[in-house]
Formats: sequence, C-alpha cells, structure tokens
Amino acid sequence: MSEVHLHVDDRELASCVACGLCLPHCPTYRVTGEESASPRGRIAAMRAVEWEHRPLDGDFTTFMDLCVQCRACEAVCPSSVPFGRLMEGARETLVDETNYQPRRWRLAYATLGHHRLLLAGSTVLAAAQRVGLVPRRLGLGRVPLQRQPLRATGADVWLFTGCVMDAWQRPVHQAVIDVLGRGDIGVALPGKGADCCGALHVHAGLADGARRLARRVLASMPGDAPILVDSAGCGAALKDYGRLLDTDEARAFAARVFDVHEWLAQRVDRLPKSVRRLPYRVAVQDPCHLRHVQRTHQHVRTVLAPYADLVELDDEGLCCGAGGAYAATHPEMAGDLRERKVEAVRRTGASVVASANPGCIMHLQAAGLDVRHPLELIAEALRGG
Amino acid sequence: MDGALVADLQQALAPERVRVSPLELDLYARDAGIVAGRAEVVCFPLTPGEVQACVRVCRTHGRPFVPRGSGTGLAGGAVPIDDPVVIVTTKMTRILEVDADERVAWVEPGVLNLDLSRAVAHLGLHYAPDPSSQQSCSIGGNVATNSGGPHCLLYGVTSAHVLAVEVCLPDGSLVMLGGLDPEPAGYDLRGAFVGSEGTMGIATRIAVRLTPLPPAVRTLLLDFTSVESAAAAVSGIIAAGLVPAALEMMDAEITRAVEDFVHAGFPRDAAAVLLVEVDGLPGGVDAAASIVSDVGLAHGARTVRVAADEAERALLWKGRKSAFGAIARIAPNYYLHDAVVPRTRLVDVMTAVYDIAKRYDLVMMNVFHAGDGNLHPLIVFDRRADGVLERVMAAGEEIIQACVAAGGVLSGEHGIGLEKRDYMPLIFSADDLDAQARLRESFDPDGVANPQKVLPAGSRCGDLQRVPEGAWI
Repeated sequence: MSEVHLHVDDRELASCVACGLCLPHCPTYRVTGEESASPRGRIAAMRAVEWEHRPLDGDFTTFMDLCVQCRACEAVCPSSVPFGRLMEGARETLVDETNYQPRRWRLAYATLGHHRLLLAGSTVLAAAQRVGLVPRRLGLGRVPLQRQPLRATGADVWLFTGCVMDAWQRPVHQAVIDVLGRGDIGVALPGKGADCCGALHVHAGLADGARRLARRVLASMPGDAPILVDSAGCGAALKDYGRLLDTDEARAFAARVFDVHEWLAQRVDRLPKSVRRLPYRVAVQDPCHLRHVQRTHQHVRTVLAPYADLVELDDEGLCCGAGGAYAATHPEMAGDLRERKVEAVRRTGASVVASANPGCIMHLQAAGLDVRHPLELIAEALRGG
Repeated sequence: MDGALVADLQQALAPERVRVSPLELDLYARDAGIVAGRAEVVCFPLTPGEVQACVRVCRTHGRPFVPRGSGTGLAGGAVPIDDPVVIVTTKMTRILEVDADERVAWVEPGVLNLDLSRAVAHLGLHYAPDPSSQQSCSIGGNVATNSGGPHCLLYGVTSAHVLAVEVCLPDGSLVMLGGLDPEPAGYDLRGAFVGSEGTMGIATRIAVRLTPLPPAVRTLLLDFTSVESAAAAVSGIIAAGLVPAALEMMDAEITRAVEDFVHAGFPRDAAAVLLVEVDGLPGGVDAAASIVSDVGLAHGARTVRVAADEAERALLWKGRKSAFGAIARIAPNYYLHDAVVPRTRLVDVMTAVYDIAKRYDLVMMNVFHAGDGNLHPLIVFDRRADGVLERVMAAGEEIIQACVAAGGVLSGEHGIGLEKRDYMPLIFSADDLDAQARLRESFDPDGVANPQKVLPAGSRCGDLQRVPEGAWI
C-alpha cells in the first residue's frame, strides 16, 4: 500500500510524552498487559504509520480495533491528549483505505438510522430469543417483545429517544417522563429524524454516516429548550456535534444538550422530597462516556442520593466492556472486563446497580446483575416503592 | 528474524505470547525516556518457570535479553540494544501473599506499585516508596532501578523495602537473594541486585516490607517569588530539625503546566512552590506543620496553604505526580536528568542549570525532591525541530557536569540505563568501574543480561588489556 495519512491532527498526535500514566486506567491494558492494547502503544502505532510510514496492515487494524473507546485515558492524561479524536481518526482512515468495517457491519450500523426498521428487527430478535434461536454466548440481554408508546407531556425540555435505547429500553424514557412530571416539567418528544445519534458510527470510523444522522437529529428538536439525554453514550455524541458538523448551528445545538442527571442536579428541589427511600443499597456504576467524556457522573449521585443508600465501586470507573457495539464485536474482551466489573459490584455487597447507559445496563444484566437506570430507581421511589 | 529462536520461544511459552510483528516490536523500542532501540522478539511469560524458559532459550541461541516492566523508566533501561529478546513481566500481576502481622507481601514483578498499596490499605498498611509513576510502574521495575519517590525522604528508597528477591539469573537458574529474617547470613546479594537495572537477571518474585499508614498527615503548599528563597526554605526546614515525609519543589513553568491539568489552585504566578508533607501522631504533625509554615514565612513564602482534607491533599499530590506527563502541554519531548546534589548547593546548581538552558536557547523546568537534593531538570523540546536534539544533549552534558562539580551524583532514583551511561566516568574512576563490572560479571559472565546498560564500554580493565584473538604482538 502506498503512503497514507491518518485523519488525525499532527499536533495532537505529537502531544503524548509516553509517560505511561494512562496504562492502568485502560481496560484492555488491564486485561492484557500489552503495549499494543494501551493508549500509549496505540499512539505509538499511529505515529509509526504517520511518521515512519509503516503500512496500514492487519496488526495496525487489530491494535486500533481492540480499543473500547472508553476514553478513561483522556481523563487521566496530564497533557490532555485527545485520544478519542485520534482513535476516531485512525479508524476513519482504516474505513477509507482498507476493508475495516465489512459490509455486514456497515449494514448493521445503517439500520440504526432507520428507526421503524430497527423496531421491527428488534421484535423479530425478541421473538427469536424466546424460542431459543439467539445464542447466549452473544451476551445479549433480554430484548423486549412489546413496547408501550411514549406520550409528550409539555414543551419545557426535549427528551432524545434514540435507536437501541428506544427499541430495548423504552421504560427508561417513560421513567424520565414520569420523574420530570412529578416536578411539573413537561417533556417534548423529538420529531421525525431523531433515529440515532450516530455515536456508534463515529466510533466505528464511519464519520460520514454519523454526520448524516446528526443533521437529522439537529432538525428534529428545534427551538431553545434544553435537550435531555438519558443514555450516556448518546449524550456524549450529541454534545460533540459542534465538532462533528463544524457549524454554528451544530454548536448552538450542542450547547443545549444535557445528560438528564446533569440537568436535574441543579433542580433536585423541584422533585418531591418526602418519599420512602428504596429498601436496598444501590451500587453506582459510572458509564465511561458519563465519567470520562461528559464528566457529569457525580450528578447521578446528587440526583439519586435522596432516594437510596449509594455505595461506590472501588475500580476507579474501569470500563465494563459494553462500549456501544463492542460487546457484540469483541465478546471475549468484553466478557473479561465484565467479570472485573461484576467482582467490583460483589465487593460492595449491594443488590442493585444503577447505570446511566443502555449498553452498560444490558451488558451487565446479561451477567445476572440487577441493573437499572437511575431514573427508573427514582421513579420507583416516587411511586412509593 | 531468527526463526529458530522464535520457534523455541513459542514452544517454551505459547505461540500467542511471543510477538515478532514489526509494528508490535516498534512499541517495545523505548520506555518513557528519549532513546529508542530495536527488539528482535517480545515475549510475555506468566510464571517464574516461563521466565527461566525464556532465558534458557536466549542462551541456547546466543541472544541477549532485556527485562521490561511497565516501561515507565526514564533512563532507557528497558531499551532493547543488540537485537535482544524483550522479556515483559506485565502479565505477572498477582499479589501472592500478604502477612499483615509480619508486614510482608510477596508479589510477582508485574504488580503495579499503587495496586499493592491499595490492596493492603484495608489492613492499615501501604508500600512506602512512591515514585511519581506509582500508578503505572511495577514493583519489578522499582527493584531494577531502586526507585525513589517523594516520600522516600523519610521512609527510604526501594532498597530499604525489599526483603527478598527470587531472581532468574542470566544462566537460567532461579535463586533467592535475601530473606525474611531480620539479618540474613552472608553477603547482602539482595542489596547488590536492587538497582542492577536488569543486568544481573530478572526478578520473578519479590518480598516487600509493608509500612503502617501514618495516623495523621498534614500537607502544606508554600509559594515563593524566587527559586532562591524556596531553596533556602528547604534548607531552613531541615535545619529546624524536621525530616518531613516529603519535601518537593516545582518551578514556575511546571507549576503552570500541572495546574492546567489538575486545577488544584497551584499559584500560576509563583516562581516556585514547595509541597511539604509531615506525618506521625496527631499532636506531632500539627507542631511540625507550624514549624514548616513559620520557616517558610521567614524565608519569604507568599502564602502557606494547608490541605483541609484528604481530597485536597490527593489533588495536590496528583499535581506533583503528574508533572512529567504534563510536559506535552509545552512541547512533545523532554530530556530529564536525575542528579543529586548536596542540599546546601541547591541554589547554585539551579542557577547554573537555568543559565545553561538559556545559553542553548532551550526551555528548562525543574520539579524535584528538594528535601534530599534530588534534582530533576527537564529540557523540554520538539525532537522534530532541526538540530534541537544536538543542543539538548550538549546542554544535558553541561548540566551533569555542573551537578558533579557541585559534589553531586548522576542519578537519585531513575537509574543509569542507557541515557546516563556514558557519564559514569565523571564520578567513578577506572578502578571503581572495573570493580562494578566484576560484580556484574559474577552474575552475568557472558554479558547477556540487558547488555550495554549502566556501565560504559571499557569499564572492565580487562576490556582494554585483552589482546584480540589472532593479533600479532
């Protein structure tokens, strides 16, 4: 292959001093102990391609592909190396120059942007699960057979509904609407086009597809009302639209986006205070894109604390392995990571886990844990247990 | 690529734990220092037996080997030279045994320093040596370089905390050096091994001393309008009869870089800050803290901030321990020295060091263990700029010479490795170097363990006297 250039900013690529402080925070390094599975090693590999003209070979692809894109390394990097952007750029290059993301995966990602098709497919999947046609080793949680329709309750805030979240975890959306309703906050639902935020496409290196989806999402929630997101991964993606689309409109849109806990944390006094606390202890699991990317994970605690006794995990937010589509594309590594998370949960002794991201919820549920979205727990407490 | 060597290594370990792809070898070409080499093969043993097997295969094929832990070393100690087999211990991460009563832990070499402290915290214990890279560096690597750290001022460096080391010698045999007895009989070969930088073999299991967590801690941040007054305060604190647990200095540039990362409230306009920690019994630490504060103010400290709680203390330390990693905020590369100078000469040496940098038109920063005079002058640069590396190396040599002239030594804690090797004759005579080479030879007569590190070529008097084969006299 002739000389290629990675779709990365050269100054950003140069901004790692290779100190190695990221290593223990990287989930794949924790499992393997290998440089090629660490942020420092991946950057060194990118540099080898970009600066030393190494080929975009199978090794390079494997090293890039094993990354969960949890971005824990970014949060701990003293030089704030924008690793997420570097990784997205490297994968974009792989998509352009190699057959990274084969046709069947591209099709799967494309489906996410066609919500009716996705819902239909999801129903077929749910039926197949029930008659035992879906292998358990895929680690897929139980997909719902039926979904109750959501109804808008006002126009104070938008609630972004998304793709898989809406297909598989619509009760979480309902819980958000219910909880906000108890604070007299009316929720509007997006118009046509809010099918998918595009996060998985960006992670896969399919930036063009992501941009198409982003433009439709942008148009689906006009006006000035805040846009609340109850999925950490989608929230991180929506907040990044300014960079993805590079327009003033997209930047203005992104400034309106809040994780639902982030927004509620400033308004906890609007929710009813005298409720019966939940009769069990809740371990808080921080989704990576809430903790390392949006850095709003403390707000989950602020919002949830009035309703339950919270306990912390001792793993410094090490990724559970869900990683968007990662659990499906890398079941072995995702399983190793999940085992570590399950152990961390067991050490707390808590019987219920709160997680603010659909991918983490389903991935951990598949390991037998009782995992709920924080807003579901609040809704339960507000209903009087 | 040596196919037979690779095949034997694959046989000895497992095919998937022996790597030869060019891109992967690139990732093991360097540590956190600035020099790079080239590995022939990288392998990942899981047990002491597999380490032995790797070493034996190397011997059969006449290959040198280079041990590597987390690769956070700052002197090129893990850089592969002479196309060696790199033996990586990062998959050997089990804490084998913790004896809380005897305060001893047996660990595999790949256990991370901070992971060990975390694992024993519930027993009220910790592993005291705390290199700034403690979250990432391995105990095996700490043993190899005899690592220090901020708290080694009071607690002593790695050597004081390693009781016994099981070593795979360069001939492939396993030996236990040292022991758990208070005074093991015979020569202290454990002491010889700690700090040998992989030139005497590979640590396969390590018994470390655990230290009780101090009952009370006070952490103070003092800021100064000149480096000189900060350095004078350091001497003043020691002269007042205190040995703080840690006594660290950061100059203006590094303080700003660190503050941009941690947002801990480090004063961005200070010429230098001191981070001082005292620990012990509650009454004692309050008295000690007020002495530190008084001495600081007497030497012109602008403010004295006492960390109010553990969170604030942790944030201040996070700042200090992130310093090297924050350098890329200024430039992508750094060349770091590790000289130790007498505390009384700190001000002179620092002035000289800044002057040298100015003469070479280089950016210089300092972040270091002031309490024991262990300087870390950092030259910050972008290696892609034309001719910069030559200037950096020339300035580095002058810095070393200035430190040695002030009565200093080359390395306080990072080791000599490859980067500082050729400066060894500045502080050791030919006889000294010969004696060290003989010690090394007694462990590694064939020179296969981490070759070309620590001692410069010709250290062994015999190297110069040996008559080449076939030479005519």
